[in-house]
Amino acid sequence: MAIDGTKIVHAVMEGSKIRESKGIIPLFGVYLSLLSVEYYNNLSFDFEEKMGKTREAEAEALLIEAAQECGYATFQGIRNSWEWEQIVSPMIETKEDQILGFAAVAVAFGWGDLEVKELVPGEKLVIKVGDSYEARGYLKNYERTHSSKCYMLRGVTGAFMDLLYGEDYPDGCFDFSAEEPFCRAKGDPCCEFIARKSSCKKNT
Amino acid sequence: MIIFDWQHELNRKGHRVAISGQPIAMHCHHYNINLQKTLEDTLGDEGVQLLYQSAEETSYHGFQNLFNQYKKIRTIKSKLELAAMLYQNSGLGIIHFQRVRPSGARIESPASHHVTGWLAKHGRRDTPGCHFTRGWIAGTLEAIYSLPCGFYTVDETKCKMKRDDECIFHVQER
Ligand SMILES: [Zn+2]
Ligand SMILES: [Zn+2]
Repeated sequence: MAIDGTKIVHAVMEGSKIRESKGIIPLFGVYLSLLSVEYYNNLSFDFEEKMGKTREAEAEALLIEAAQECGYATFQGIRNSWEWEQIVSPMIETKEDQILGFAAVAVAFGWGDLEVKELVPGEKLVIKVGDSYEARGYLKNYERTHSSKCYMLRGVTGAFMDLLYGEDYPDGCFDFSAEEPFCRAKGDPCCEFIARKSSCKKNT
Repeated sequence: MIIFDWQHELNRKGHRVAISGQPIAMHCHHYNINLQKTLEDTLGDEGVQLLYQSAEETSYHGFQNLFNQYKKIRTIKSKLELAAMLYQNSGLGIIHFQRVRPSGARIESPASHHVTGWLAKHGRRDTPGCHFTRGWIAGTLEAIYSLPCGFYTVDETKCKMKRDDECIFHVQER
């Protein structure tokens, strides 16, 4: 593994303490906000609840989509940023190392302890997360459930593959899609995300 | 100036990041604005209400927690100062509390994460769009005045997302 996550974490922690006079944090080519995970969890799970049983699948799809589209734009910005060039690029030896760099940035952002378990170039990506803030937040407020709840990480896993093996930016979003077969919200010991080529690509 | 060392307050233990002990996540404008748009497009006014309430509850709990930790921050003035500083340090923008009384307030914001993000992604809109900030203001003032969550309503009369010069918020008792 050529990627040293601690360097990336350090850069993000230092960078997130620098803001311009307007109170905006420009880092890795995006504007960053530091918000309580409670906010995001309330938003997702209340949205799901409001949509009700009949629109459950739609709510889930919308939340995953919002995250995937964001992950796609965000990590495209990140890999073209000055910070990436300075800090991450020197550690990248193969194309596949980029995914390890992406995962390290996600860890730095406080999204969880992402670990890339398997990567089959162009085909499959498996990411394991022992402590996703979505699953943790879900279990804090609700009983254990029958379906997986980490919509943000699910979208982001798909986006990582889109950026590496999808069509060139900006046409590759949703070329891949991810499932979460195991989730702590369901009582599994950890969350696992598997991205594969989409069978039919959503219209963006 | 109040005793609050930001460099010290923002820290991490392993993969968890926290501000003054409260878990946070860093997200960018793409995600924040996507969530807003998804909720507004899918649920209309109910979605707007959800954005407002989530922000209200979160800032309410956050500041209650913070004031419990920092008993020395006692006056309304110093609490407002801390709130504005936290807003800015979290990358949310600039907020000026003006004419703040327990019965209501007027607040101006010349710059914000959500405005910058919205304009970058979607351009100008026809209605005020700072639902997050409205909720954040409500929860913050409720915590500062030790009132129940939901006590205030916050309206945005001018919004930079509509290309007004500033965002202007009015706070009243519900
Ligand atoms: Zn999960
Ligand atoms: Zn506004």
